[in-house]
Amino acid sequence: MADPKKPRAPFAPWDRRELPGTFTVEETAKRVGHYKWVEMRLFEALGGWVATVPELDVKMRLGTHCYKHAWHSELWHKRLPELREMNPDRLTRPPNEAMEEFFKVLTEPEDQGQTIEKLVGVYRVLIPRKIAAYTYHLNNTSTITDAPTIRSLKLALNDEFEDWRDGEMLIQALIETDEEVERAAAHQTRLEKIMLRAGGVAGPGSLGSVPETMTEEVPV
Amino acid sequence: MKKNMPPDELARDGRFVRVNMVERISDPRNGRGPTGGRVGARLTPDRPGAPDAARALMHGIFVGEIQALEGAGRTCWDFEVGAGSDDVPFQLKLDMARQCWDEARHCEISVKLSEWMGTEIGEFAESTFLFEAACNPDPVLRLTGVNRALEGLAIDVFNTMKEFGNVVGDPVLEFCEDWMLADEVTHVKMGSDWLRRLTVDDPERRKRALEFQRIVDKLFSGGGFRGDDEDSPVHLARRFREMAGFTVDEIDEISDLARQARAEARARTAGATAGAAAEAG
Repeated sequence: MADPKKPRAPFAPWDRRELPGTFTVEETAKRVGHYKWVEMRLFEALGGWVATVPELDVKMRLGTHCYKHAWHSELWHKRLPELREMNPDRLTRPPNEAMEEFFKVLTEPEDQGQTIEKLVGVYRVLIPRKIAAYTYHLNNTSTITDAPTIRSLKLALNDEFEDWRDGEMLIQALIETDEEVERAAAHQTRLEKIMLRAGGVAGPGSLGSVPETMTEEVPV
Repeated sequence: MKKNMPPDELARDGRFVRVNMVERISDPRNGRGPTGGRVGARLTPDRPGAPDAARALMHGIFVGEIQALEGAGRTCWDFEVGAGSDDVPFQLKLDMARQCWDEARHCEISVKLSEWMGTEIGEFAESTFLFEAACNPDPVLRLTGVNRALEGLAIDVFNTMKEFGNVVGDPVLEFCEDWMLADEVTHVKMGSDWLRRLTVDDPERRKRALEFQRIVDKLFSGGGFRGDDEDSPVHLARRFREMAGFTVDEIDEISDLARQARAEARARTAGATAGAAAEAG
């Protein structure tokens, strides 16, 4: 056995974590507040839709996914006070009005014959955007100072990838005609345009740089 | 998407058959008479028609789990987070989302168990009386109706099916019912805890909620289908109910309600029989 008194480097050679990160404490809290708002709106919608979809496999999947996003919102809710936000409700808000509009349109489909629209909004528009924003955050925050956020992001991302795959496979299984392909595409396009205006789930800068065409974040 | 969805809008595929509660309990395969009075007995393998009764009960569990899933989901959607009387705490919504996951698993389990017992979806009819408990616009009353009355009934039913699985030597049935029973104890405990917390400063609201629960519990007793009497097909699972936060007095009250429901069902049956005899005469 090696000499226990022999000095060792504080970081093992394979541990490449670094101190610098892109986000301040305040910026992180703001993003986390947006994440919590989005996860809440999503789990509420999935829970509400369960009773409106006749397809049994979809019904049961939505029930399962509903909890995962509720759990993510709880992770973010608990992280806020650790980021010096002692009133978590204050930052639990959408990044801008476009994001509010996005959820309004996302939750419009209600009829039993609109399962494709319901799934497309979540699994072809929202969840890919969440994966993108979470991944950007994961890859740019300080791997040492912000380790708790990283852990939550990794846990959430694992669910997002699984749910995205589930949802996409359900959509592929449900779409059987050209007309249904067009319906799915039309709803996706409508929502993508609103999401573009929102700038992503954390607003402009969800993926770092803000496009020149995009105005500054509009507070709600 | 609107708030407060009525039961007749619950979405189902073409296999499901929707009937009202009277039509459902009049199904002769359940061992009941046409007026709903029990003519069967405790669910045991030697009871006449036991396989059909067990399959009917399992199909009832399956559709009940779907409605429980839908009820928990609608509670996530119908109420805003806040401190107002129409609002709910954030943590309560998280609990309802958790319940969604649990109920979705129960749907998966019970549809597989139904197959295992030789039943197809839609072979027995569905009534929406369970979901009706999840339609109250007052969140405290809804929670009490769903998490104390409906989920309490689930405790009794799962315990009965677990015992039936043990008696008939079906380890798969016994194993699955035991897992679902664990979840239901959790759900009832959630309901007991939230009822206490949300009404701590509002005894009048607590009284209303418990009164609503009594009404629902009496309805769910199904004319003596669930109760403490020896020949009740589904017995009150007293030990598990106590684990879930029911007091002995509360369980005794449900037992009394079940006896009342049974006596009323018998009176209806007798009245119907007398009426039929008078017509024939």
